[in-house]
Amino acid sequence: MLTIHNLQKVYNGTTVVNVPELSIAAGESVGLVGNNGAGKTTLFRMILDLIRPSKGEVFLKDANVMQSDAWKNYTGSYLDEGFLIDYLTAEEYFRFIGDLHGLSEGDITERLLPFMDLFNGEVLNQRKYIRDFSKGNQKKIGVAAAALSNPELLILDEPFANLDPSSQIRLKNLLRNLREQKRMTMLISSHDLSHVIEVCERIMILEKGQLVQDMQTNENTLRELETYFTV
Amino acid sequence: MLLSLLPHQWKAELRSSVFKKSIALNIILGLLILYFGSIFLFLGFYLDKILLKLFPGQDVVATFNGGLVFYFLIDLFFRFLLQDLPVLAVQPYLHLPVKKNKLVHYLLVKSIPSFFNLLPFLLIVPFMQSVVVPAVGQGGATAWLLSLIAITLLNNYLLLYFKRQMSTKPLYTLSFGLAIVLLMLLDYFGLVQLQLVSKAIFGAMLQQPALVAVPILLMVAAYLLNYTFLKSHTYPEELKVRKASEATGTSIAFLSRFGEIGKLIELEVKLIWRHKRTKSILTMSVFFLFYGLLFYRNESYLEGFSFLIFVGIILSGMPMFNYGQFLPGWQSAHFDGLLTLRISPYQFYRAKYWMMVPVMLLAYILTLPYGFFGYKIILINTATLLFNIGVNVYVILFFSVYNKERLDLSKSATFNWQGVGASKFVMVLPAMLLPILIYLPFGLLGVPYAGIAAIGGIGLLGVIFQKQLLQWSANRFVENKYKLAAGYRQSS
Repeated sequence: MLTIHNLQKVYNGTTVVNVPELSIAAGESVGLVGNNGAGKTTLFRMILDLIRPSKGEVFLKDANVMQSDAWKNYTGSYLDEGFLIDYLTAEEYFRFIGDLHGLSEGDITERLLPFMDLFNGEVLNQRKYIRDFSKGNQKKIGVAAAALSNPELLILDEPFANLDPSSQIRLKNLLRNLREQKRMTMLISSHDLSHVIEVCERIMILEKGQLVQDMQTNENTLRELETYFTV
Repeated sequence: MLLSLLPHQWKAELRSSVFKKSIALNIILGLLILYFGSIFLFLGFYLDKILLKLFPGQDVVATFNGGLVFYFLIDLFFRFLLQDLPVLAVQPYLHLPVKKNKLVHYLLVKSIPSFFNLLPFLLIVPFMQSVVVPAVGQGGATAWLLSLIAITLLNNYLLLYFKRQMSTKPLYTLSFGLAIVLLMLLDYFGLVQLQLVSKAIFGAMLQQPALVAVPILLMVAAYLLNYTFLKSHTYPEELKVRKASEATGTSIAFLSRFGEIGKLIELEVKLIWRHKRTKSILTMSVFFLFYGLLFYRNESYLEGFSFLIFVGIILSGMPMFNYGQFLPGWQSAHFDGLLTLRISPYQFYRAKYWMMVPVMLLAYILTLPYGFFGYKIILINTATLLFNIGVNVYVILFFSVYNKERLDLSKSATFNWQGVGASKFVMVLPAMLLPILIYLPFGLLGVPYAGIAAIGGIGLLGVIFQKQLLQWSANRFVENKYKLAAGYRQSS
């Protein structure tokens, strides 16, 4: 699904991301953990063709993301509020995204059903613009919109941040269901070690732009991660 | 305390990112200030002669006094339109051990050194020195000046109070403006002689300097009104004028018939409709439709061609120049999102094109009545419309990839220099000069209408090669999108 060759991003002489080789198979769910400034978001942006890499390539389904737009058809993503069209209402936004993927009104309603728990009655039918929602609810809207098209690849940056504990648990279950039922490939970054372990079957640690560890999740993973991050 | 707060205000102005970034902008701002300043100074020294010419045989000071009431009403009107409320500036101090009274005084005092309060005195002070002092002596003139200052500040504080109370309903402002125009018309036809009242009031001020206490007391009252109100409402959520707005409007059904393009245009129409800054650009563009009146009434302009070409470009093109000069910066807040969505750059730019073309057509149709000033105007405006649609659109799209600055749409457009950079001024040049350059050789050869035809013809070529030109614009966009996205991510 995703292959990275020799990817590098250098800002003013500092290398922020340096990933010589990485491949993620279809259906795999990968968690990316690392401290602030480790380069997670930069890596995601290069995968989504939002930043021009200093060196190297990103391939989605064997097509270079910089040369072909085909990946946009099967990739859903939400990194930050910069992805939300904030002067629309939540419904209008879902409608717009749905239209781009040729979904009918009914399709959209149906695909949002699993999100109703997460929305907790605070998102739909509110008669307000996205810019007036709280950070947490904005995140819920962004994640739902990313998953709306049933993408084969779902990329989320810090999906658990800014959410209240109940919402975090609901989102965790939701992502697990998407993975198990739709076989969605996922790439999720998080600061919350326990959540990301429950959602993802493969964990990678990014430090100073380098992938320093790459492991399959098992009962010892949380302890290993905690040891790693204890300074 | 005030003394340590006011320097913060200075720093906030001086360090605001807009001013730090662009030298060209600073130079142009400086020139503008010099320009308006010198106009006012010039008027101040020559006003007596101008007034004498307009109203021969009347006392100059009395005429000036008669106009003052209208001046202050118009001043109030423009303040409603343009002046912003300095409110949220206190937010970072609210939790600190600073007395509330001090903060409120700070807010109110801070509003004094503004463009609105200072500019008129460039005119009034020289006028006073050269005309009023010789007429009534230093004492009366000083009282007169003080009363004008007091009324200016009264307007300042009245505005602060009412704008906060009524929030900003454009309808109120508009009806207020209409009421002023109506009063002036009534005065002109001699039905209601408001100017006599004005003459009497300010005349009395000159004779009885003690009367200056009245406007000063009124000003103090307005200040206290603001003070008591603000003191009991120092919570940020109450200070903010605009609360979370309720969502309005639904989808525009007929646009969705145009498929993906229609969707993108609908998105942008909503963007324009739901933000303050874009809406004020819309109003500004409507005002520019009357631009023709300035020139077409003047016989000497109607003789030539180059000037009319310039006016023609402005009349149909102004909405596009106004809005297009910031493209695609309007969408800077969700630019990353747009790039990851299933929208091809070609479609993205085609939507922009098909949004601007109907607007220019509409402006063209609305300004057709100018044809009464001469059929030549219709010919020229048709040619310039074609040029706008065929060439200037691409000039705008060409420069769009240089608009790397993020725009904050919630702020109003007037005096908003955010995103204004050197490229804006470079952009206007070819758009305005090119058609005149095309015309020039024909004009010199004595075949002006062939020149007009050439402008229209070149525009038509652009219309015919629309697809290629849009593709070229889209390709440039693809080359530059990383730079744009990086620029938009930096909040300014």
